[in-house]
Amino acid sequence: MNAVVRIVESSREVPEPVAESRLAVVMPAKDEAAAVAAVVASVRRCLPGAVVIVVDDASGDDTAAVAEAAGAVVLRLPVSLGAWGAAQTGMRYALRLGCDTVITMDADGQHRAEEIPKLLQARRATGADVIIGAYPERGSRLRRLAWRLFRLLSGFSFADLTSGFRLYDHAALCLLASPRATLLEYQDLGVLLLLRAQGLVIAETPVTMRPRLDGKSRVFASWWRVGLYMVQTVLLLLSFSHRRRRPKAE
Amino acid sequence: MTYQLTSALLGFSLALVILWLIYKDHMHTRHAFWWLAIAVTVFVLGFFPHLVDWLGLRLGVAYPPVLALVAAIGVLLVKILIMDIEHSRQERCLRRLIQRLAILEAEVKQCRKVKTKGS
Repeated sequence: MNAVVRIVESSREVPEPVAESRLAVVMPAKDEAAAVAAVVASVRRCLPGAVVIVVDDASGDDTAAVAEAAGAVVLRLPVSLGAWGAAQTGMRYALRLGCDTVITMDADGQHRAEEIPKLLQARRATGADVIIGAYPERGSRLRRLAWRLFRLLSGFSFADLTSGFRLYDHAALCLLASPRATLLEYQDLGVLLLLRAQGLVIAETPVTMRPRLDGKSRVFASWWRVGLYMVQTVLLLLSFSHRRRRPKAE
Repeated sequence: MTYQLTSALLGFSLALVILWLIYKDHMHTRHAFWWLAIAVTVFVLGFFPHLVDWLGLRLGVAYPPVLALVAAIGVLLVKILIMDIEHSRQERCLRRLIQRLAILEAEVKQCRKVKTKGS
């Protein structure tokens, strides 16, 4: 198991970054018992020094036990907070451990651990605070139509606005772990809008992804959920429209 | 005089109910302030209904009783808005607490593991 090397003793929420760069991989997981072990194992194989944090979003199956057996640090949410709430929990914990970089990825096997070095490389090359691992080919026709609408309303020119495969640096982590980001419902556009509004730099790099090993999209589980997601995202876009500012690295 | 008495009684009863709710710890004083203000308004307007007519004429309302209704709806809308803002604040606190609980639970588990290894 990846050793949790040091738990920051201070009660402060956001510690200062430690001198040595420390990386955590955060995976929100709900009912992913069938896939999570393989994903954790692949991350540990590719990044032996990273802390792997699986946030169990009140699963009804053995996700937590399976992830723990695979070597991850598991945070068990007693009540489901959704993918973003779970990811934020992981970020808060990573900050307490003194990590200054976090990679978020799905626990369903869609995101490939082998692609993480591309995110790290893009971070070094661009100096951006956030790197999006983009794979626009995965989108259905309807999803692409939604992306086009989101691009139009947000002013972003990213190919894959909704990818959860991302790298966040310390500045982005401090913002996203704060109460300011707690009422977000999804981990995609709202997060990017908040980051941009605070002047953080976002960049994108192409990666490859797999079809899900198991489970299905939580956002696109039903037409009702899709409708809810669209309405909430468009509302967010409208509310942030006065802070529209093009990030430097785009 | 009868309708004035009815209105005043309504205001008085509302005030009593609010005070009882505070006493029973069913209502926070922060919220009770709002309802007591409404009770006092109903009470005062019960005894002096011509205040509405006077205000209506000053504001150019052709049929002054409508002013009371519009004001009541406005007050309710503001109250509902305040309730939703308060609800969002509580939701934020609740989510933070749930997250913190999960984090602390993991840290306790980690500490126990370290302790077990050490002993």
